[in-house]
Amino acid sequence: MSVTQGSRAKVLDRIRSATASVAADAANLHELHAAIPRSYIRKGELSESAKIALLIERLRDYDADVVECKLEELPDTIAAMLSASGRHTFGAPSGLPAAWMPSGFDWKLDGGLTHEQIEVLDGVVTGASCAVADSGTIVLHHTPSEGRRVLTLLPDWHLCILYADQVVETLPEYFARVQHPPALVTWISGPSATADIEMTRIKGVHGPRHLNVILVHH
Amino acid sequence: MSHSVEHPILDPTLAAPFPKAALPVLRDPQLRKNVAHAIDVIQTKRGKLVAEKTDWQELRSAAADIRTHVLENLGAYLEQFEERCTAAGGHVHCASDAAEARQIILDILREENASEVIKIKTMTSGEIQLNPFLQASGVGVFETDLAEIILQLGNEEPSHIVVPALHINRSQVREIFAKSMGRPELSDDPQALTEAARIYLRRKFLDIPSAISGANYLVAETGGVVIVESEGNGRMCLTLPKTLITLAGIEKVVPRFEDLEVMLQVLARSATGERMNPYTSLWSGVTPGDGPQNFHVVLLDNARSSILGKPRERQTLRCIRCAACINACPVYRQTGGHAYGSVYPGPIGAILTPQLMQMRHAQSLPYASSLCGACYEVCPVKINIPEILIDLRAQVIDQQRHNIGRFFDPLYLGLRIAGFLFSRAFLFHAAQRLGRVGAGLFTHKDGWIHSMPSVGGKWTQTRDLRGFPNQTFREWWQNRPARSSTQIAKEPK
Repeated sequence: MSVTQGSRAKVLDRIRSATASVAADAANLHELHAAIPRSYIRKGELSESAKIALLIERLRDYDADVVECKLEELPDTIAAMLSASGRHTFGAPSGLPAAWMPSGFDWKLDGGLTHEQIEVLDGVVTGASCAVADSGTIVLHHTPSEGRRVLTLLPDWHLCILYADQVVETLPEYFARVQHPPALVTWISGPSATADIEMTRIKGVHGPRHLNVILVHH
Repeated sequence: MSHSVEHPILDPTLAAPFPKAALPVLRDPQLRKNVAHAIDVIQTKRGKLVAEKTDWQELRSAAADIRTHVLENLGAYLEQFEERCTAAGGHVHCASDAAEARQIILDILREENASEVIKIKTMTSGEIQLNPFLQASGVGVFETDLAEIILQLGNEEPSHIVVPALHINRSQVREIFAKSMGRPELSDDPQALTEAARIYLRRKFLDIPSAISGANYLVAETGGVVIVESEGNGRMCLTLPKTLITLAGIEKVVPRFEDLEVMLQVLARSATGERMNPYTSLWSGVTPGDGPQNFHVVLLDNARSSILGKPRERQTLRCIRCAACINACPVYRQTGGHAYGSVYPGPIGAILTPQLMQMRHAQSLPYASSLCGACYEVCPVKINIPEILIDLRAQVIDQQRHNIGRFFDPLYLGLRIAGFLFSRAFLFHAAQRLGRVGAGLFTHKDGWIHSMPSVGGKWTQTRDLRGFPNQTFREWWQNRPARSSTQIAKEPK
């Protein structure tokens, strides 16, 4: 059986005639879009340290665990967090730096792990592309150090390593940093949650129930 | 459950008029309590977080401008989306109406030999009544959003577009889960109930290879689709299956990736009173080695293009389905969602549903409002809902102009008589005097009419009417003591 494209021409015709009196020439479209007034706050005004403090406050507000460390302390800090979790088997994206995989734990490097293999992991360690302080958001572009989407989804425990220079204050600052929109983006603001039963916020439904962040100062 | 006795009908072609459909809720104190509690919680959270955002009004303006720009140039942006999505490995289909959309989705599932499908909450699928159709065609449908599971397992209907099960309280949820999951030991603690849903769905996410989603936004520039959610069930459906079908209204497009900096900020705060929802996913077409390798987008018209053609009504399509208007509405607060006879309740439903029905059904909905304007004030894309409500009311009246039955309608007859009397001064004065005598029979000592017989009772059953004054303005004017023009000039300023 073949699947039809449906009524493409019919629908587009209806749209074109419905907007005939207001639609711009294709050539002017970009210009018109660029002319939309954007008087909202695009760039934050906080100092570097206040920005980091805001991110940490917002992440903790979502029940995420946040630890700060210096670059040279990173491997020890990762090891300490993994130990403290009481977990043993961790997934790692294919491009995770070797220094981020301390010994003493069982590491499963993702080179095409099956869903079932990922499902039984105790946790996962990844990098990130950016973080937005204002909303406490971690942004993954699913680069080799951030891993496939499934890797940060099925395990119940996620440790995300973030460099201080990856932190921006506002969401528009994140968008200003992205030159070429990636094919995959996941914005994570705290662990999964629901308020579907009597609006009571319950942490942890289907995604990782534990979000941990190490903020690395250069 | 007490409110299951009269099962609500959310099909605008079959639903009772709003005043009648609202009665079961108005008579159910538990249901009203559940709705009021949920609305209070959302409103408090939203209020706090909107106040925190010093550039909220600027964000609203930009969001409204972006949406207006898209709608005015929808043809160009949809074609751009189609081209980019296809280039990224997706398949784009256009459905003229609900029946065609359902058939396209079924055909895709049949091609995959799918006997089951998992779903992310999508109002659009409710609009086209997709679930009953798929089930009748032999495809098992599993909703994965917690609220949607509650509704599906409890055979309930959604009453809100963001928190669809807000009319059901924890003990009712416990009852539904205990029975349908075979777990009589479950407590009514929301934590335990949420855990039960997690366990119930885990295998389904891993085993069922086809999924259906809606879309919060379509990005024309990249051919990308955006899903905004909280629980992670969305990410599961977008990531684990082999086949993914996204059903989206044609109006969901935004021009560029960077427009999301506005649209994401206004959506989370308006919808759930959060700075940002826990998970937002964006994907463009197919990514080798990551997620579904067979990806389809079904773009749904279903009367949207007819709304697009009307300059004033066009703004209806700016809607981003945040439900801020629903939460702010004093009418919704009293009636809950089922009275609207559609999956889209509240003020947005009152303007959207009749228009999606091309004014052939749901004509009572434009009247399901006090026109207080609270919806317009909170709308993150500045849809002037009261203005559209009034316009739709005019359209409903225009329809009735050609209806023979109107001669038996007391309202119509009353207005015709009033029109005749009010356009002739001597008849108007006579009517005033007669009215004073007539109304005097019903006027209480406190100067108010508390109850009237017959048609007048329609007014007084829900509110009092001021009695007639002892003299009209004209009578007072004629009887006032005469004053000379010089006296008037000397009046103190």
